[in-house]
Amino acid sequence: MELQAMYIQILALVLFTIGLVVAIARRNIFFVLMGVELALNAVNLSMVGFAKTLPAELSAAGQIVPLFTIAVAAAEACVGLALVILIFRNRESVDSDSFTNMKG
Amino acid sequence: MLALIYFIVLAVIAVGSAICVLLAKHPLYGALSLILSMLSMAGIYGLLGSPFMGVVQIMVYAGAIVMLLTFVIMVLNAGKDNNTPRFDKVSLFVVPAVVVLCGLVGFVLVRAPLAFDATTIRGSVKFTSETLFNMAQNGPGYFVLFEVLGLLLLSSMAAAVLMAKKRLGSEVSEKEGK
Repeated sequence: MELQAMYIQILALVLFTIGLVVAIARRNIFFVLMGVELALNAVNLSMVGFAKTLPAELSAAGQIVPLFTIAVAAAEACVGLALVILIFRNRESVDSDSFTNMKG
Repeated sequence: MLALIYFIVLAVIAVGSAICVLLAKHPLYGALSLILSMLSMAGIYGLLGSPFMGVVQIMVYAGAIVMLLTFVIMVLNAGKDNNTPRFDKVSLFVVPAVVVLCGLVGFVLVRAPLAFDATTIRGSVKFTSETLFNMAQNGPGYFVLFEVLGLLLLSSMAAAVLMAKKRLGSEVSEKEGK
């Protein structure tokens, strides 16, 4: 029994599923943000796992594309938390159902 | 064999702490479980031979993003909000749908042929940085994206400061500012 490439993909799939469930099913807005971060992490893990199955000259993409994903996730968390602060000051609530200002 | 044992231990920690995020009552406990999950994922990156990704994961995710999240949770004191239920009726439909989707994707994934390439260069810092900052005419051109990312982070930081500033100051400090 050796470490197979498939095990990493299955772990990434399980983590992505948990992240998606956290992001959609929980109602606290902080848990929604945490679920999105978890799902992004799982995709990074999947990309690093796939990179190890590619030939040598292509495998650098598996290190660099997740780097960009992490930076975009940092920007997303920055703006998202600023939005949460702004809405919490107005509504005094962290329930995502009360965040319906843009519904029209 | 040893790699498989390490992988199983780290995977169990990662999945277990992710489930803790799902079931946590207080957002602070969720954030701490998230840090544990990300640290074990950094261990898996190291196990796969990508120390660069592992260190970036620890520095940016565990060190910056979740730190920011924890800070905002503590500043807003939102944990005292007991009116927000953990799950609502929609969750009853969401969870089976996502699990069925996971099962279908997993079925396709298991049938796909996938094996490690023995000749693959592992993701050391030297190899990664040489590819990232390769400015040759016929190179991959990742450095342009890198510069764009700097602008993206700067603009998101400025936007966050402008948005959060609006009501953050108390009335007294705003009057003093005028």
